[in-house]
Amino acid sequence: MKWLELLAVAGATLIASATVVTLYSLGVRLTAIAGDAEQTSPGLKRSFAYACFGLCGLAVLVGLYLIIPYFSK
Amino acid sequence: MVALVIALALFFDFTNGFHDTANAMATPIATGAIKPKTAVALAAVLNLVGAFLSTEVAKTVSGGIIREGSGGVQITPEIIFAGLMGAVLWNMITWLKGLPSSSSHALFGGLIGAAIVGAGFSSVNLETLLQKVILPAIFAPVIAGLAAYVCTRLAYALTSRHDPETGSKLTQKRGGFRTGQIFTSSLVALAHGTNDAQKTMGIITLVLIAAGTQTPGSGPQLWVITACALAIAIGTYAGGWRIIRTMGSGLTEVKPAQGFAAESSTASAILASSHLGFALSTTQVASGSVIGSGMGRRGTTVRWNMVGKIALGWLFTLPAAGIVGALTALLVMTGVVGVLIAAIAGTGAVLFMFFYSRKSSVSHQNAVEVEEAGQAVRFAKKKAMARARAEAKAKAKADAKANDPKENRR
Repeated sequence: MKWLELLAVAGATLIASATVVTLYSLGVRLTAIAGDAEQTSPGLKRSFAYACFGLCGLAVLVGLYLIIPYFSK
Repeated sequence: MVALVIALALFFDFTNGFHDTANAMATPIATGAIKPKTAVALAAVLNLVGAFLSTEVAKTVSGGIIREGSGGVQITPEIIFAGLMGAVLWNMITWLKGLPSSSSHALFGGLIGAAIVGAGFSSVNLETLLQKVILPAIFAPVIAGLAAYVCTRLAYALTSRHDPETGSKLTQKRGGFRTGQIFTSSLVALAHGTNDAQKTMGIITLVLIAAGTQTPGSGPQLWVITACALAIAIGTYAGGWRIIRTMGSGLTEVKPAQGFAAESSTASAILASSHLGFALSTTQVASGSVIGSGMGRRGTTVRWNMVGKIALGWLFTLPAAGIVGALTALLVMTGVVGVLIAAIAGTGAVLFMFFYSRKSSVSHQNAVEVEEAGQAVRFAKKKAMARARAEAKAKAKADAKANDPKENRR
């Protein structure tokens, strides 16, 4: 039985999805904060938010890298 | 026979496509991230691209569950025909019931049934069956569900904002998750294309080799790749709206943050499983994610009787497709007449189910109570509320001047 593989898959799934969701949620939160009226430095917050979204985009690219067999050979 | 198997294989590919649209596109449709028609079109294109991306054909159609080759069963076009028949019919039945079920498991079931009739029980490799079908069926939803649960909790915890003084809710912009959903669901659709179209290509190639029209060990021919890619794309575009309805709103109510959490878990689970060597079914992963995300959000209920129905469907996938496969194999073994009877009966059953489905049509218009409408209302409401607030302020000021403390407090 391939219990080790099973554990590896479960762990990888949890870590990968939690990372992406955390980043994206932070991005969403920062966007919301930047949108507040009494915010002192909305530009900074907004750029942090975009950085978070950018990292998520990177995760999507990693996903593409994994999906397309041409790269993983 | 060869032509018949190829036609049936392509039809299986088609059912596979429309059966599995829901995996990728049910949640973005449910949250209104993508319009229903656009969603299925996007999924279709990605499936088409995915099918062309990877042509690494599954060498053994059954994934080693049936002992193939020397010392086992010779997989003949007849057995494949019977197996496909079982898979196609089961796919149609589950579609009619709106149940998401794994197309590959249906194919396995059909092939197992056909092989048992053709060569007896010894032809089935029980250990591989346990490892490749039964255990993944238990663990796929658990793994994906757990990940989706954690992610949903995370997403809501991280985006919840309260005013520290008054405790009232601040803007959370959770609608922003909709944009993310487009990307995660696209990943799922692409991964589906690279995996599932391969199965049909493998089958057709195997049949061609068995018939002697192709040299053994060679890859699929271009027309095979094209036909399979088109079949799965058309199937995806046709959209299994019934299953989309189940996944999008039948299991639980899906909000953007939840949908994003569910899809990123689905995508990670599929990618992790296909690269770490414990193959999980896309359908089961996706259903598990939706259930998990439903459990993760406070104030949502998971409709457990629907979950039970789906679980029951999974339980029956293997035996039901197996029985149809076995019956078809029996018919086919009687000779040409049997093949004809099987083909006609199969076509008849499919047509019957298609027309039966017409009685209660589910299409992109009514598949999911899309939040789109709600969204429009909400925007309007927001504006109206802002206006109302401004008016209230002005009024409050005026009232304050008029010395009406009650109005002021309000």
